Amino acid sequence: MFKSELYKSTLKAAAISGLAITLSGSLYAEETAYNGLWNAKKDISGGLYYPIKDGATGPYKVNTQVYKDSDVSKGQSGIKAIYNNGRVPNDAELKAWDKDIDGLNRGLPEGSGYVDEGEAIYEAQCIMCHGDFGSGGGGYPALSAGKAKEIKRTLNNNRWLNPTAEGPQRVFGSYWPVPSTMWWYIRDAMPHTKSKTLTDDEVYSLTAYMLYINGMKVDGEIVTEDFRLDKEKFMKIEMPNRNGFVPDIDGEKGLENVRDFYADPSNYGAIRLNNPQERCMSNCQETDNILRVDGGITDFHPPMSVARDLPVVKEDAAHKVTFDAKGAYETAGCTMCHGSFAPAAGDKAAWEPYMEKGLSKVYQNGIEGTQMGMPAKGGSSLSDAEFKKVVDFMLKF
Amino acid sequence: MLKNLKNSLNLSKVDKNSNEIEQLEDTNSRRSFFKKTGAVGAVAAASVIAPSAIKASAAGEGDPAIMHHPKWGQSWGDPVSKNVYGIPSKYEHNNVRRYTELLASGNERASIAVTPIHESEGIITPNGLFFSRCHGGTAHVDPNEFRLMINGLVNKPIVLTLDQLKRYPRVTRTHFIECPANGGQEWRRPQYNSLQFAKGFMSCAEWTGVYIKTILEDLGLKPEAKWMLAEGSDNSEMGRSLPIDKVLDDAMLVWGQNGEALRPEQGYPVRLLVPGWEGNLCVKWLKRLEFSDEPYYAKEETSKYTALKPTGKALQHFYANEVNSTVVSPSPEKPWRDLKEGDTVEIEGLAWSGMGTITKVDLSFDGGNNYVEANIKGLVLPKCWTRWSYMYKIPKGFKNKDGKQIILTSRAMDDAGFIQPTVDQEVFGGDVTKEYLEAALKDNSKIDKTKGMGVESVYHRNAVESWEVNEKGEVNHVQIRTV
Repeated sequence: MFKSELYKSTLKAAAISGLAITLSGSLYAEETAYNGLWNAKKDISGGLYYPIKDGATGPYKVNTQVYKDSDVSKGQSGIKAIYNNGRVPNDAELKAWDKDIDGLNRGLPEGSGYVDEGEAIYEAQCIMCHGDFGSGGGGYPALSAGKAKEIKRTLNNNRWLNPTAEGPQRVFGSYWPVPSTMWWYIRDAMPHTKSKTLTDDEVYSLTAYMLYINGMKVDGEIVTEDFRLDKEKFMKIEMPNRNGFVPDIDGEKGLENVRDFYADPSNYGAIRLNNPQERCMSNCQETDNILRVDGGITDFHPPMSVARDLPVVKEDAAHKVTFDAKGAYETAGCTMCHGSFAPAAGDKAAWEPYMEKGLSKVYQNGIEGTQMGMPAKGGSSLSDAEFKKVVDFMLKF
Repeated sequence: MLKNLKNSLNLSKVDKNSNEIEQLEDTNSRRSFFKKTGAVGAVAAASVIAPSAIKASAAGEGDPAIMHHPKWGQSWGDPVSKNVYGIPSKYEHNNVRRYTELLASGNERASIAVTPIHESEGIITPNGLFFSRCHGGTAHVDPNEFRLMINGLVNKPIVLTLDQLKRYPRVTRTHFIECPANGGQEWRRPQYNSLQFAKGFMSCAEWTGVYIKTILEDLGLKPEAKWMLAEGSDNSEMGRSLPIDKVLDDAMLVWGQNGEALRPEQGYPVRLLVPGWEGNLCVKWLKRLEFSDEPYYAKEETSKYTALKPTGKALQHFYANEVNSTVVSPSPEKPWRDLKEGDTVEIEGLAWSGMGTITKVDLSFDGGNNYVEANIKGLVLPKCWTRWSYMYKIPKGFKNKDGKQIILTSRAMDDAGFIQPTVDQEVFGGDVTKEYLEAALKDNSKIDKTKGMGVESVYHRNAVESWEVNEKGEVNHVQIRTV
């Protein structure tokens, strides 16, 4: 494909899938009622996009050598440059990284595992977080709440009228639409403390155990303790909530469905006005019923404070900081003078006249500064105790 | 003198400075000088904590913060060799991200630390305060071993080093990133008496990187490509997918954040930036993009980041963070305790929309019954934090004319035409009456389940936010509900 044909080709594909009707119809053709300024247009998420036009996208200028007018809806593209960055990955590299498993189970490797093998791995590596039989606990996600088909009914338990009622249970069996997600995530992200250490067979056996503890069916049969999951059986896993999601993103019309869905604000609890003048400015709602924070969540770390004070220095064993006197001597500015016209660290002869009145006088002169030009603490922000340690270092002969 | 000052100010916070003060007293000569310096330090710190304290101490002799040379004015400051990468003043140590165990999926490596919005200035979040969310801990990627692979439905798959990626022509854009769970703990009732936790699952930065469409010009996208998977290289191999529309519009691969490299918490060295859409889509520690004709069903787009509705069906691939706003000053963290009747004060806030550009912000003093139009100020950019402001004269007892306490509610609108719903409009899909809800409470079948988001969505809550100001000028988080 010629590179400049990119968007046209994309659009052609869209046309095949019936998308062109949407594109040439009201969705993209329609300017917003009161914008116009930036030529903003509606996008797939229900919002706007700002195509590159006349050398700018929205308020941002662009380099027109790179970006000509480019409007996704019109299949325009203006980029003529040819880059020669990077290289084509070889087969071994692709095999190593292209390992995702999509909703059609494309990418699922061969392998197999039994429920009881999965249970043994689970009890050795997973139970400490996910709990007995995937019951969760300690904030870690639950993996099962019982028999999937029954638990799925709780998805209708919306607490919008009764905030203290029993809520919905969203676990693998009751909620997830496809099983590939579980296989993929176990292999790549689990166990949490040492991910990507399980073999494919181990992932199969853990997935089999997930099916078991969720009381799920494969090819019409409830998964029992002696069940063995392999690639072929994986294709026949029945997900009770397979049709529980909107919009339908699968197949040829997937993106078109998404576009149509988000074009209707009522699908997602949003309100869109044709004109800002339509918005209510007075007598909009009764405001007598005020819900306040009742106890609420206050477990904040660090504790909430807006004070502009000095931090409290923790001095327990875990936070004990050993002071590096030599490092301070070298970095706090001492060497600007000491070593040139003032006595350097370790130079016994040079220090002798200063030591005549004793160490405490040297400390005092250092901390307070002297008429001779020594700034207080050498201009550093060291504490007295730290400064004394630097003096001790300098007087080590 | 020190002791007396401390006692007369009665500020327990001063005690935090006592280490420094005692340390100054410690030195065995010129005691009086150090005492004075110590006293100045105490008052200076105290005045920041409670401005009203200045008045008492200033009555006779003059404010010590004015009457004496501060210690930083009579001694050397730090040399330029100190802090060659600058750090904030030590007095700013409370301006930090915060976390709560209740938002952790078990531990702090699958959790979120949120931005102190109440201390935010302007529309840029400093990199150290940008909210941090991860699913397997913050990864520390060696940039020398960074590789980006782009494969699937492209004519030429590619693998790039970091330097090679940066060879593409770059663009710089200012966008917020918002976790779609921002405010998601408050569908049923307000839970946080805090702006940081009620709205701080978001931040805004200037990003530098390359439009993905620029790279695709080089590789050639096959016509059947509909979806793009983005995968991270972190412990959770964080993955999300998005439609090709967005990829060919403004999606970017970014390595620059506010003029420097991304912080590790933001996906160093490269993350995906999907302007305006769910923060979760902006995959960090990026390693691979793949183009496909069918959706991927990654974990974070099925088990999470889906919004369950009262019908029992859930929204999947719910992208844009809808129009939203909040009053920032005042807030529960930054109350009006020091203001009195007749004082004029600026009410300031933020508005943002992942669907476009902010066009209007309205402000209510009675919880959303009546609104006035506020003033948008500063840069107004698409999919970006936008500042707004309203000058206000404090009424007696912080009460409205009808004797009720002020309730500040902001409501934003964007150029796509979207306006923030009330709490009940979002939950029930429109205005509802007490009669309707009371009847539905008695008989659940009386409620129309096809309307509204209900209260189990977790994600994408963008109803108006309200702060009630009590007689002391304290500010508390409230929600206005029909019943």
